[in-house]
Amino acid sequence: MSKSLALIGRALTYLALSLAAFVSIFPFFWMVLGTTNTSADIIRGKTTPGGALVDNIIKFLNSFDIARVLFNSFLIAGLGTVLTLLVASLAGYGFEVFRSRFREKIFGGMLLMLSIPFAALMIPLFMMMASFRIINTYQAVILPGIASIFVIFYFRQATKAFPSELRDAARIDGLKEWQIFFYVYMPVMRSTYAAATIIVFMANWNSYLWPLIVLQTNEMKTLTLVVATLTAGYTPDFGVIMVGAIAATLPTLIIFFLLQRRFVEGMLGAVK
Amino acid sequence: MTSFTSRWRRSLAAAALAGTSLFSVAAASAAELVVWCWDPNFNGATMQEAFSRYQAEHPDDTINVVIFDKAAMEQKLQAQLASGSTDGLPDIVLIEDYRAQKYLQSFPGAFEPLNSHIDYSTFAPYKVELATLNGQTYSLPFDSGVTGYFYRTDLLAEAGFGPEDLENITWDQLIEIGKTVKEETGQILLPIDPTGSDWIRIMLQSAGSWYFDADGNVTIAGNPVFKAALETYQRLIASGITTPVSGWTEYTGSFTSGKTLSTFSGVWMTATIKANPDQAGQWGVAPSPRLDGVEGAGNASNLGGSSWYVLSSAPQKEMAIDFLATIWGSDVDFYQKILVNQGALGSLLAAREGEAYQASDEFFSGQPVWQNFSDWLAEIPAVNYGIFTEEADAAVVAQVPAITSGGNIDDIIAAIDAQVRQQTQ
Repeated sequence: MSKSLALIGRALTYLALSLAAFVSIFPFFWMVLGTTNTSADIIRGKTTPGGALVDNIIKFLNSFDIARVLFNSFLIAGLGTVLTLLVASLAGYGFEVFRSRFREKIFGGMLLMLSIPFAALMIPLFMMMASFRIINTYQAVILPGIASIFVIFYFRQATKAFPSELRDAARIDGLKEWQIFFYVYMPVMRSTYAAATIIVFMANWNSYLWPLIVLQTNEMKTLTLVVATLTAGYTPDFGVIMVGAIAATLPTLIIFFLLQRRFVEGMLGAVK
Repeated sequence: MTSFTSRWRRSLAAAALAGTSLFSVAAASAAELVVWCWDPNFNGATMQEAFSRYQAEHPDDTINVVIFDKAAMEQKLQAQLASGSTDGLPDIVLIEDYRAQKYLQSFPGAFEPLNSHIDYSTFAPYKVELATLNGQTYSLPFDSGVTGYFYRTDLLAEAGFGPEDLENITWDQLIEIGKTVKEETGQILLPIDPTGSDWIRIMLQSAGSWYFDADGNVTIAGNPVFKAALETYQRLIASGITTPVSGWTEYTGSFTSGKTLSTFSGVWMTATIKANPDQAGQWGVAPSPRLDGVEGAGNASNLGGSSWYVLSSAPQKEMAIDFLATIWGSDVDFYQKILVNQGALGSLLAAREGEAYQASDEFFSGQPVWQNFSDWLAEIPAVNYGIFTEEADAAVVAQVPAITSGGNIDDIIAAIDAQVRQQTQ
């Protein structure tokens, strides 16, 4: 009796899980399917593979300078990620390790700033970039994101798990503070860095509003902006949009799968 | 203090530049015209075509057409105009007609009046009116949204209706046709998106009315046209000849797949319909229906449309104006070409004398659709879209469920009026 009940329970669990899996996977499935169909077929709700894949890819590649756009996206996301991790981890480490009377007040103030919506910062930030004369440059996109309060917060939390014995030992061995950070802290915290890499890279890669405002010409556009452009117009070509959506999703997916194991460790705050 | 600030700024900028100055792209050569618009196949393509004609006389000049998503471009333009920094703004920008007054009134001095360069009497009057503020006109009128009633000739014929039955009819006559079609063949005449307000924009302008009068005052309560429009919409829904659709894709999918037999829309819908070559010869276009029992009601109206504007800060202002005036302002051949290639119906009235406009279209059962559209174009009543059309649309859409469920129209109008007044104060 109880065995059959357990069986029913399991069946229900699997049913619920299957449903959830279907709901989360179907959009991806539909996106992949869409790349093989013409726009008219997609609008009609066709859910079988079609023969327009090559056509859609060619149209996608011809609609803009793909090499340039990928270069822009990878440069902005890549360089932005490296700089953000460097600055934010230094700050997070510093906040946790060095004591000062003002530490918690400053940190609290910074956390408060997290609640300011970007829409409120957009125009002043634009004016700032204009006065630096760097509108429509990579640095205008990358600079404002480097001192990410969220990532600083994340690193400070992770640093709490960094054993102070390691630091003491390194000091006794004669390392300077910056050497401790680069030679001891960074290698030990690599899971945290991996997790932060995924988060920051994804945020930079998908970033839309700020690049939209500050980048002006076709040569500077990122992949996200270009895919948004595909949906512009009175008769959007959905097949091509699906190709664009996949092109925009792939890099983050690849990075996620490469760093997946470390990501989970990092989120759990593991220090070996 | 000032010198300190600017020095601080400069050194910070220098540091920033030194830190990451990697591949900044320098601005291009001197005579490059920069244009912002939102459709690579439509307004972007027509702009390229126009410039290639201009280049014949000015071989050294170039154009850079930058395409954005429409909402994104508006956000970008608005943010930048609000910041007061003209750095990186284009020379020419495309603005949707409904929003023209919003930009002109919110950012005085941002756009260049073109009265002394363009002969506006050669353009459709309603297009000129909507870009005029305090006697100055700022736009080069581009595509019109002159409306038509697009229908499947083959499927309507099954119920015994031909093109002559749809000429210059009223909405109530259309409802009767829809009922007969439903009885005879069981098919549904129209898709209607309850989250959209296209139908009310078309009905209002067809009778020369809008949410606002010429001075921008709210004209909703006590406006007989507004009331007639809502009542007509209620009758349309109640008659059972419509089916609800949600969003653009489902809406266009409905009539291009044959689930519904027709739609009323702007001329630009032609491209979407013609994207289904298997339906060639099965479509026709009639004038959009007119309101019953309303003074000044006609069969010509407008939905959407956009125009080009020159920014006062444009680095190539002289060239931009000269280009717009010579090609867009008078080249009839150019308008033939964009009609054929992009399906763009411009607002230059003389364009209708050209060959392409005279031709009949086999896709539309051999009807002289372009000649018809340009006839209707000249008849569209001019109205003032004001600066709060979107807010008024939202107020109408909020009441659609009440209209659909058979609510009292006077109460509904009072509610819409109150919401619009509250938002426009």
